[in-house]
Amino acid sequence: MSAAPSIDETVRELLRSRAPLARDRAALPDELRLGAGGLGLDSIALVELLLDCEQRFGIPRPVELLEGEPLTVGRLVAHVRAAAGA
Amino acid sequence: MNRAAGRQAFQALESGLASLAARHPAPALSTAATLGWFRNLLSRRWPAPEQIRTLFPHLTHSAAARVAWSIGGLEARNRVLAACILSAGLGPVRPLVRTPPDFAALRPPLLLGTFHVGAVHALGPALERLPGPVLALRHGLLYSPDPPVEIVTTEGDDQQRAAAFQRALTRLGSGGFVVLAVDVVPGSGLQAPCLGRTLELTRGPFALARLAKVPLVPLVARWRRGGVDVELGEPISGEEESVLAAATARWLERYLLDSPADLGLGLLRRLLGFEPTAGR
Repeated sequence: MSAAPSIDETVRELLRSRAPLARDRAALPDELRLGAGGLGLDSIALVELLLDCEQRFGIPRPVELLEGEPLTVGRLVAHVRAAAGA
Repeated sequence: MNRAAGRQAFQALESGLASLAARHPAPALSTAATLGWFRNLLSRRWPAPEQIRTLFPHLTHSAAARVAWSIGGLEARNRVLAACILSAGLGPVRPLVRTPPDFAALRPPLLLGTFHVGAVHALGPALERLPGPVLALRHGLLYSPDPPVEIVTTEGDDQQRAAAFQRALTRLGSGGFVVLAVDVVPGSGLQAPCLGRTLELTRGPFALARLAKVPLVPLVARWRRGGVDVELGEPISGEEESVLAAATARWLERYLLDSPADLGLGLLRRLLGFEPTAGR
């Protein structure tokens, strides 16, 4: 029996399904930005990604995640981990 | 008087009217409209009757000229109104704004889409009369609203706009009103035919309607009888953003065919920036 995918893997899988620029990349490092200068997700796609996470993990999508520092792969994974209590 | 001196004279008059509007809004704004009307008539530049006829070919040259002069008046009145709100808040404007009887009967969650037509800056007092919490998204802030109205700016990069979008989605989810412009494109846009041209509408309102599963209701304000009449359009529903955008553009087209002099200069400029679509 194979192990369930980790939060890390699942978030990256959601990213690949939402961001065309993520599909061809072998790795999605923690410091990679989700918006401009990184995966290029626009405002609507960023919120849709948070909706994906909400639906997949049953966690809230706080607006604070989008305020302040640029949202990166690592920040998103850390948020999901903390909110999911993993 | 040369053109530059004329422009400075008109600007000085408008500035004086903006100060006057804080104390006597109705006469100051009516005078601003007359001033803008003459400014367009004398300058014969922008918009020109020929440009108006490009979008409204059924108008005669003289009717198009009157529309151009009226648009000059509309713009001047709106500039003075915006300056008045910036300096004095909504206080002087509230008594001028009339909302229809069905306004207070609107039930959230609901998305209200505005356009840069008519007295767009005068919508602030109308939002205060909506029966529920209101979140307005706009580019830049003209005034600080009082609860239950909240304004979030859409200025900034994609992530900052995502934060505004997220707030709007949450507000709709909790049973509130969200108000935002449909015809300004700070992010990605959707193209739809309008007045024989291609109009790019902002994708945000249609994505919100799809994600929150709420209808979009057109909301406009017209300068009428020394004040402002607020009007609502029929709700526009659908699951596909492009279908919603096309229906919204059709609504705007009908509105402008009925009231061509309500066309704002920014919207006119954007409509004229596209080549005519085939078949018209």
